[in-house]
Amino acid sequence: MIHPLLVSASAPPPIDSPTIQYGDLSPLLVVAAVALLGVMVEAFAPRALRFTIQTALAIGGIVVALAATVWVGLGLDRASGDVLARGRVVAEGAVAVDGPSVFMWGLVLLFALVSMLLFAERRLEGGLSAFTGQAAAPPGSAMEREAVEHRIEHTEVFPLAMFALVGMMLFPAANDLLTMFVALEVLSLPLYLLCGLARRRRLLSQESAMKYFLLGAFSSAFFAYGIALVYGFAGGFGLGDIDQAVSNRIDGQNLLLAGIALMAVGVMFKVGAVPFHAWTPDVYQGAPTAVTAFMAAGTKVAAFGAMLRLFFVAFGGASWDWRPMFWVVAILTMVVGAVAAVTQSDVKRMLAYSSIAHAGFILVGVTGAFVGTRDASVTSVSSVLFYLTVYGFSTIGAFAIVTIVRDASGETTQLSRWAGLGRESPLVAGAFALFMLAFAGIPLTSGFIGKWAVFSAAWSGGAWPLVVVAVLASVVAASFYVRVIVTMFFTEPTGEGPSVAVPSMATTAVIVVAVVVTVLLGVVPGPVLDLAQSAGAFVR
Amino acid sequence: MVTFWTLAPIMVLAALGVVLARKAVHSALLLAVVMISLAITYASQGAPFLFAVQIIVYTGAIMMLFLFVLMLVGVDASDSLVETIKGQRMMALVVGLTFGVLVVLVVGQGVVGVSVGLGEANANGNVYGLAALMFTKYVLAIEFTAALLITAAVGAMVLAHRERLVPRRSQREESARRLQEYAETGRHPGPLPTPGVYARHNAVDTPALLPDGSPSELSVSRVLRARGSVREGFEGDVGQTLRQLDPDDPTSTIGGSTPRRGGSGRTEES
Amino acid sequence: MTDHYITLSLLLFTIGAVGVLVRRNAIVVFMCVELMLNATNLAFVTFARAHGNLDGQIAAFLVMVVAAAEVVVGLAIIVSIFRTRRSASVDDASLLKY
Repeated sequence: MIHPLLVSASAPPPIDSPTIQYGDLSPLLVVAAVALLGVMVEAFAPRALRFTIQTALAIGGIVVALAATVWVGLGLDRASGDVLARGRVVAEGAVAVDGPSVFMWGLVLLFALVSMLLFAERRLEGGLSAFTGQAAAPPGSAMEREAVEHRIEHTEVFPLAMFALVGMMLFPAANDLLTMFVALEVLSLPLYLLCGLARRRRLLSQESAMKYFLLGAFSSAFFAYGIALVYGFAGGFGLGDIDQAVSNRIDGQNLLLAGIALMAVGVMFKVGAVPFHAWTPDVYQGAPTAVTAFMAAGTKVAAFGAMLRLFFVAFGGASWDWRPMFWVVAILTMVVGAVAAVTQSDVKRMLAYSSIAHAGFILVGVTGAFVGTRDASVTSVSSVLFYLTVYGFSTIGAFAIVTIVRDASGETTQLSRWAGLGRESPLVAGAFALFMLAFAGIPLTSGFIGKWAVFSAAWSGGAWPLVVVAVLASVVAASFYVRVIVTMFFTEPTGEGPSVAVPSMATTAVIVVAVVVTVLLGVVPGPVLDLAQSAGAFVR
Repeated sequence: MVTFWTLAPIMVLAALGVVLARKAVHSALLLAVVMISLAITYASQGAPFLFAVQIIVYTGAIMMLFLFVLMLVGVDASDSLVETIKGQRMMALVVGLTFGVLVVLVVGQGVVGVSVGLGEANANGNVYGLAALMFTKYVLAIEFTAALLITAAVGAMVLAHRERLVPRRSQREESARRLQEYAETGRHPGPLPTPGVYARHNAVDTPALLPDGSPSELSVSRVLRARGSVREGFEGDVGQTLRQLDPDDPTSTIGGSTPRRGGSGRTEES
Repeated sequence: MTDHYITLSLLLFTIGAVGVLVRRNAIVVFMCVELMLNATNLAFVTFARAHGNLDGQIAAFLVMVVAAAEVVVGLAIIVSIFRTRRSASVDDASLLKY
């Protein structure tokens, strides 16, 4: 019994329980449940079985989540309004389940599916995964050798990747700033950890984890302060509330502008836009290649999704204020990415700078901010969605190839050592060349259609000078990709030349899927482009 | 008003101290000062719940973790652990100036017209008001922090927990191994000499002196030697003492008749 | 009064940001990030009172939870690096003797 004095005179009214649309959120919930189950498996399953169970659980869970995503996507209703939009806001306004959200969920899940196959690759390291056996053992120590002898593996990487995946799904779908902030952290923390778990070159890997963590925490502090300032301006966190405040009010403009700028720093860090790109090459190089592939594809989708939603929905009314900033950042990103890629001698660093350049191209599409009322033309949102699809598959494919070009000390990432790869293994070199051509945006590859889509959206949005710069930057970048192809096919190998390890079915499947998607989207882009187009606009 | 003008200068000075302090421990303690002062400002701004959470979570858990890691890493770890990106001083200056401008722009304009105050929102008590939001509007965000906490726990285990892969040796096996080693290599099976035996100090960084006056390598931890923090300069001590004991030596302070000279040795201190 | 508190919060945030950029010790850099997050919380609490709703306080609470998780992960990474670096010269010796 509670003492009568402790009960206030008038008991406060009961709090109504929230209504959560579990069906609409099912893809998210499935992935979260799989992550939790994975942690349980770590605790209870015998060590010998863990790797198999974790792989099966992760892949099975992703497949179920994909099915749930398709089911949610088919059930989306057309929202009222003059632009095409489907879906609704669920979970007390926390999550917007609309066309772009569902498209991005599907995309991130597909990327995660192929990345998990890379995670599960065990043939390349003699029956062990590409992750360190005992992260707590210092590199080169007796304990590390013991761990290899006993063949122990860190199977926690699977639940960690699943947690990152939940974050990647929640980040672009979040409809209020607090959910967005939490999602940003849910997506980041596991990735910081995964970066530091490479089996080979562990010092580099740990250092990359440290850099990524410190700079990531720094940028998320900016993001949080941006949220605080925007809250100070609008008095609420819902993107719809902020939109109303932005459209209606005139006073406190500086507060809003400062908030927009700081939040932009946060998301631009995640996409790796210049001048917030400093972490990208180091982290891409140091992290285990499977993680790099997952991160490069998945984080880009999540961060661009959140950026689009934030700037189109919440700050749409202030687009004249933020577009100049995006112009500058887009131009800087394309130029720095393209020019710096030319000077790289390491394949992973080269791919990192190329990812920076691609972030620039996508930013061109974002900057166009073309909403488009006629269904015929490509909108900014759908062009960015399409580009992310194209870029993600090519990137994962390229990194998958990086994992199989090896020598005695692990992956050979020195570009000079790739000379003569075309003679060693024409198939692998051919696939890599295809990805390079897609990155360069050569016709009949998916990259061409992607570039065409974002540029045309930007052009329709009136950002034609930006498109001109972008085309010039693509030419510079293309020269470099061509150089890589020349190195592989027409240069005499130095010393023994590169060797291509025979991977298991998993990595082979990843490369084949990436090649097929890259070619298919280049030849018949119609269906996916239509799908991106029919995803429509964001709901509010 | 009084709270603000008392705490604000303390906070700013302590924050500056965090950045400027040479030793990491001082930074940590000054950060704790900022955090506790912030807790008090929360209490004065109608946020009693956050006051408690700030003390419990920030000063109680987070700062303790920082101090714990500092102890683990070495209290005097003021050296650089990592080489970050170059050219950052300039960046720092730019950021500082940018924010200076921001302060002028944002605050100069007047931030929010009229402060509403929390009287109405806190009508049923601050905790009730927070709960009403936490369990309805923001329930999803709060639930997803579970993912964060689990990630943190799993991550800490992965990075810091070492699994024992070889069975622990029993006392008997260990002693057998040591005697075996003695038989094979002649390594003494007993405990290592403690620091400071026959030495001037009994501190851990002072090597024990062997009967011939040379310092014993074994008596100081390898870690200290690797860090280069072993106290040096005792090699001559025995010879010096012997000289002093020698009645024939004219400089001897004990046997001889000559009075002590200032520079004759550090024996005076003992 | 709101203006005063926001000025203070901006000041603390700036000091933290500058600290992140000028310090070299990873732990101190991380402490400066925590200072920035604390400044953020002050802004949230202040704006919550200015607007008369508790959403800002929820935000501050969430930032604290996030910071707690971040600290665990960050310090684990820093400790693992430290072990590596130091043990490179001290080959996994411990300070204790048997």
